[in-house]
Amino acid sequence: MDGNITIDGIPVQQAAEAIGANDVPELKEHAQDALRRLLRVWIGFERDLVTVPILRRLDLGTYTLADHRRLLVNLRQQVVEGSRWIARAASSMDRDHSEMRSLILRHAVDEHRDYTMLEQDYVNAGGEIETILSRGKNVGSEAFHAFMMQRASQPNPVDMLGAMWIIEGLGERMAIGWATRMEELCEREGITRFMTYHGANDDDHMQRFYTMLDEVCTDTLVVERIEMTAKVVARLYRLQLEEMGDE
Amino acid sequence: MNTVYITSTGWHLPGPAITNDQVETVLGAVNGQPSGLRGQIQKANGIQTRHYGIDANQRTTVSNTEMAVQAAQECMDRAFRPIHQVGMLAVASTQGDHPVPGLASFVQAGLGMAEVEILTAQSICSSSMMALKGAWLALRCDEHDAALVVATEMPSRLLKRQRYEAATESTFAKKTVDFNTEFLRWMLSDGAGALLLETSPRPKGLSFRIDWMKGWSHAHALPTCMSVGSSGKADEERTWQDYDTYADAEREGALLLRQEVRLLDHIVRLGVDGYVRLVQEGLNVPSEVDHFLCHYSSHHFRPKILDMLDAAGVGIPEEKWWTNLYSRGNTGAASLFIMLDEFVRTQNPQVGERILCFVPESGRFNTTYMHLTVVDNNGR
Repeated sequence: MDGNITIDGIPVQQAAEAIGANDVPELKEHAQDALRRLLRVWIGFERDLVTVPILRRLDLGTYTLADHRRLLVNLRQQVVEGSRWIARAASSMDRDHSEMRSLILRHAVDEHRDYTMLEQDYVNAGGEIETILSRGKNVGSEAFHAFMMQRASQPNPVDMLGAMWIIEGLGERMAIGWATRMEELCEREGITRFMTYHGANDDDHMQRFYTMLDEVCTDTLVVERIEMTAKVVARLYRLQLEEMGDE
Repeated sequence: MNTVYITSTGWHLPGPAITNDQVETVLGAVNGQPSGLRGQIQKANGIQTRHYGIDANQRTTVSNTEMAVQAAQECMDRAFRPIHQVGMLAVASTQGDHPVPGLASFVQAGLGMAEVEILTAQSICSSSMMALKGAWLALRCDEHDAALVVATEMPSRLLKRQRYEAATESTFAKKTVDFNTEFLRWMLSDGAGALLLETSPRPKGLSFRIDWMKGWSHAHALPTCMSVGSSGKADEERTWQDYDTYADAEREGALLLRQEVRLLDHIVRLGVDGYVRLVQEGLNVPSEVDHFLCHYSSHHFRPKILDMLDAAGVGIPEEKWWTNLYSRGNTGAASLFIMLDEFVRTQNPQVGERILCFVPESGRFNTTYMHLTVVDNNGR
């Protein structure tokens, strides 16, 4: 016994750690204000995710392989489109934001083929590749994607940091815990590599995030815009998880 | 509105201090089998000693009411005001000795307080803050000059081996390891704490001025996390009184204290949410806090919280945190009052120092906060 409480293999302290973003650098005043606001948005997001039926089944232990396929089918569209809005945001940055543009471009390169991993997870979970390839967006994904493309198309859309906070946060803080639980409940391996890959890699992404946050948060107006985008993304992401039809 | 001060404190911790290895002797090994989880849970929560109001045969040695009375008497022994000049009694506990009437009636009787206004707050850890806030507001609004607030907790009677042995059809009996049902057995223990509130500070020595109290509950969004009254089985909607007999409810495990451990992390996050919210509202100025008294129920949560708050520029350095959790145990609702009592007696607080108190409740996610300032006999 090493003092770490685990339940069904998942450390209890996982989420406590989840909150503590790793290696946070010194931030200036407005960036700290932004971080405080974003923390509150994040905590509310996580709290409300508990009520999403498919995720509640993870807590209750009733999550099945069919649930998992349903989740992947519904997530794929957002992952496919994700690299598009990241690239769009980069191209909307002018020369005064060139440093940020290159950071975003690097991010897009990291993620632009992620969906192939997700598709393989789906097949490993017993799904037919044609099924996942032929599925369109659900109601939530549609709204989510539309909002993201609209924001990314604005000149210098620095508020996309609010979106990144939520989406990267899912990878950094939730994905590994979910994936462990999913493989355990579904009694199958190799069905969550998309999620675990993200859990392992998003530390770097968060460091980029903090660097950018410190740079762009020069006044309260910017901070408020970032907060609003984070709130909308949190709500639409949850909508996407709520609007899951059949597989 | 009146300014209100905490002018005296007292506690009662029943029996001797019980070490980790003695705990299972007192609570009893279920069906004679030592628990496989005890050592792990105790190591994680960091508690070294605690107290129980039951003996090694699981016989009650002191009632919840008696503990409350003794804590209140100690508090009044240290006060300048005689108890007959106290107009209000507010009492908090997770579970009194009787389901009805409220515990305040019994404590009032035990203290012999004639014709006082009473308030019983029943929840879990944060019930102490509910009772305290009721009393604080009554004094603020000039309804009374003084109020006695007592928080008392006696989970040992819920945690003794006989409870688990009788639950023959429960998840505890069916599963090899039922973490959710066993977790709290190695976390909670007994004790009571009391505070005297007055509209003027102590004539000699130090008082705590109550600057503000705030609370936010998240029950609208989250499921129940810590409870007694449900069997914890999937698709079972009955609560304990819906069974034909109480014996049926007990057999099904609906009378066991249960924690949905997978949800527990939310209480940490929501505690942080309220804390940051208070910063945003200008009430909480972390750089001006001298002492942080936080009722946290598990040792390993501590550094994680610190890291997170530091990141947002609102951390409180670790040397400002103070707790007696490790020596007095996790006494639920009574914890903060037991903490305040020992703090004022042993930590030599100075006039002008600011104290932030935080009491989270995982039951259905309530977070409560209080800010105190140490003042002298002139209220400065």
